[in-house]
Amino acid sequence: MTNFKLKKIFKRLSVGLCGILAAGVISGCGGDSTGGGGDTTTLKVGVTNFADTLEPTQNYFGWVVMRYGLGECLTKFDEKMNITPWLAESWSVSDDNLTWTFKIRDGVKFSNGDALTADLVKQSIERAFAKNTRVATFFEYESITADGQNLIITTKKPLPGMPGYLADPLFIIVDVPTEAERDFSKQGPICTGPYMVESFVKERAVMKKNPNYYAEVPYETVEIPSIDDPNTRAMALQAGDVDVAVNIAAGDIDVFKGNDKFVIDEIPSLRVVLARMNQNPDRILADPNVRAAFISGCDRETYNEVLLKGTFLPGKAPVPPSLDYGFDQLTDPNAYNPERAKTLLAESGWADTDGDGILDKDGRPLQLDFVVYNSRAELPLYAEAVQADLKKLGFDIKINTVDYNLIDNMGIKGEYDLLISNITTANTGDPEIFLTWYWKTNVDGSNPQNGSGYSNPEYDAKLEQLNSEFDSARRRQLIIDLQQILLNDAASIFFGYPQTNIINNKRVAGVKMYPSDYYWITNLIRPAGN
Amino acid sequence: MIETFRQNRLFALYTALVILLVVVAIFAPQLAPQDPFDGNMRNVLQPPSDEHFLGTDKLGRDTFSRIICGTQTSLFMTICVVILLAVVGGAVGVASGYFGGKVEIILMRIADMMLAFPGVVLAIAIAGILGGSIANTILALLAVGWAKYARLVRSLVIKLRNNDYIIAAQVNGTKTVNILWRHVLPNILPMIVITGAMDIGTMMMEIAGLSFLGFGAQPPTPEWGLMLNEGRQYIQTAPWLMVYPGVAIFVVVAIFNLWGDALRDVLDPRNE
Repeated sequence: MTNFKLKKIFKRLSVGLCGILAAGVISGCGGDSTGGGGDTTTLKVGVTNFADTLEPTQNYFGWVVMRYGLGECLTKFDEKMNITPWLAESWSVSDDNLTWTFKIRDGVKFSNGDALTADLVKQSIERAFAKNTRVATFFEYESITADGQNLIITTKKPLPGMPGYLADPLFIIVDVPTEAERDFSKQGPICTGPYMVESFVKERAVMKKNPNYYAEVPYETVEIPSIDDPNTRAMALQAGDVDVAVNIAAGDIDVFKGNDKFVIDEIPSLRVVLARMNQNPDRILADPNVRAAFISGCDRETYNEVLLKGTFLPGKAPVPPSLDYGFDQLTDPNAYNPERAKTLLAESGWADTDGDGILDKDGRPLQLDFVVYNSRAELPLYAEAVQADLKKLGFDIKINTVDYNLIDNMGIKGEYDLLISNITTANTGDPEIFLTWYWKTNVDGSNPQNGSGYSNPEYDAKLEQLNSEFDSARRRQLIIDLQQILLNDAASIFFGYPQTNIINNKRVAGVKMYPSDYYWITNLIRPAGN
Repeated sequence: MIETFRQNRLFALYTALVILLVVVAIFAPQLAPQDPFDGNMRNVLQPPSDEHFLGTDKLGRDTFSRIICGTQTSLFMTICVVILLAVVGGAVGVASGYFGGKVEIILMRIADMMLAFPGVVLAIAIAGILGGSIANTILALLAVGWAKYARLVRSLVIKLRNNDYIIAAQVNGTKTVNILWRHVLPNILPMIVITGAMDIGTMMMEIAGLSFLGFGAQPPTPEWGLMLNEGRQYIQTAPWLMVYPGVAIFVVVAIFNLWGDALRDVLDPRNE
């Protein structure tokens, strides 16, 4: 009986092992092919999509409307972040700096054939104001009028950033009258971009050529699967399931570097990975010493240069060095220095009285809730590295992984001690809006993005000056001063500045990553050799 | 006892292996050559070498030490789940089998409902709602698994219920608790033990699965499923991060499955 049993077990084991080996061989062979033939009418792009709908005024979903080649704005940022014409061919401001005139380009049509007029642009901008409260944090207007192809915007105070504001995806121009018979959020808005929506769900969009586009459109169809897992996205590109993939993570990029089947466009982005620090009165981080100790305890150089293999630059200030706002002249009082961190914590009365390795004060352990989302590979890595480093100082960091869609709301409500995110610092061309949203004093929801409770009257006063300063040298100095205040106050921790990349195989050409991160699928992407 | 081992060499072998695993689990912190939580961040993703027998992970922690300490996490969670399953499932089964009537109908219909769900999917849902942690994983697997034990125990108890010695005890006026404790439990215990032992491997896989999906152990806990997930990002550039935790799961689950099989052969009354 026992002998028989033994044979049976060995038989089962060997069958199982053969199966495992076979699976390994098959998958090993599949890895290196570049897939299908030379289909020149369909483009496949592997992306990460956070948008549930294509309503450009909802949440940050306008970004996706623009990235998918559907929506366009009046202005556009080039690869050096200069503001260039798009749907507006030129603009000017009156001598009192209060009245802006944008000349809408002639001959532009929406994808349904409607001609683009200044009146439709006006309706579209008014719609954005009506639908999203974030719009008013860009600018407030006295009046908007349409005169032929001229759009005239009058503001209450001088706003030098106006052309840049209108490049933000919140101001994507949509054909408002068609909203009567069309559900923008499900079917997508009618816009002026090179491609229009055939079908959209969060996981997968199919776009069709816009027959009324004002320039040549190379592809009939663009398929856009959303592959949120960075590793899967890299493998889809290797296998030829997609021709283009965005944001290949540090763990995979070596596979593509030095491989002549792929083209990598990697640029320093305008983004920063930061963690907001909740300093509302009842929170542990309300104590500036604890915040300073936290930042001093994080070895940001190692995180970025070693853990992330140099795909990120080490963090210090709010604005990345890729933008010329005095990165090198800013001084960080909280540079890596664990000994100083220990001293600061001791000064504030934190000590390990119960011998469990975690500091405590008045019976309250030094425990912080660190909120993270997973769709960007570097975020959990930073969080875990911080957790390991700060444990040595007696912090107990609890990592709380949540879905990306919850982040915005948690940030507004302040339901965190630390909340990490990867944020663009210059969505309107310079860091003014970024510096306003996250750190301007929030009085009863007047600045909802600042849920951290940070408030400094000096900072608010300088922001006020910046808001209506036209002189670029003075603007630059104000932005440097603002950053230094945030660093001195240990207002947030700035972990690093990502390089951003887009990688394509040799079947397509013209793929380019822009620092603004708004334009992924453009009419410049074309079949290779054409 | 020794006689049993002599007659069942395989059982003896598997038992020895199981004991070895338990010893490794208990003394994991002493056995691990390096600190499983604290690595040298300047030394990440190193391939296996003399210093790091199985390489280092994304934070420069020693993979071998983490796998050793993972034995403790995995084994502790698995044993907890299996014991709780046996206790909860057994209690429900005994109650419904012995008392019958409305008690039986209500308990068994609830059990039927639980059995109607696909187990792992329901466990994911429960762990997802409760939030990822070791305790919640144990709860989720308990909620999913108890019905199987309840049904098994109930059918055993129903068979026992009308035996003469139980009726005699009832006629003598023995307290119900004593009947259940003295006469019912000893008769069903071997079956529960066998079922529990055979489930250890399965439960270990499910715990690792939940952790892999992010619903179980949370970083920085060394847990094999979680380590698999962490290694997944580096599958092409540092494959040892996935291979070795995978091998650990494979070996340990295989040992427990073989031991469970052997234990059944030993305890099965038909063998005598």
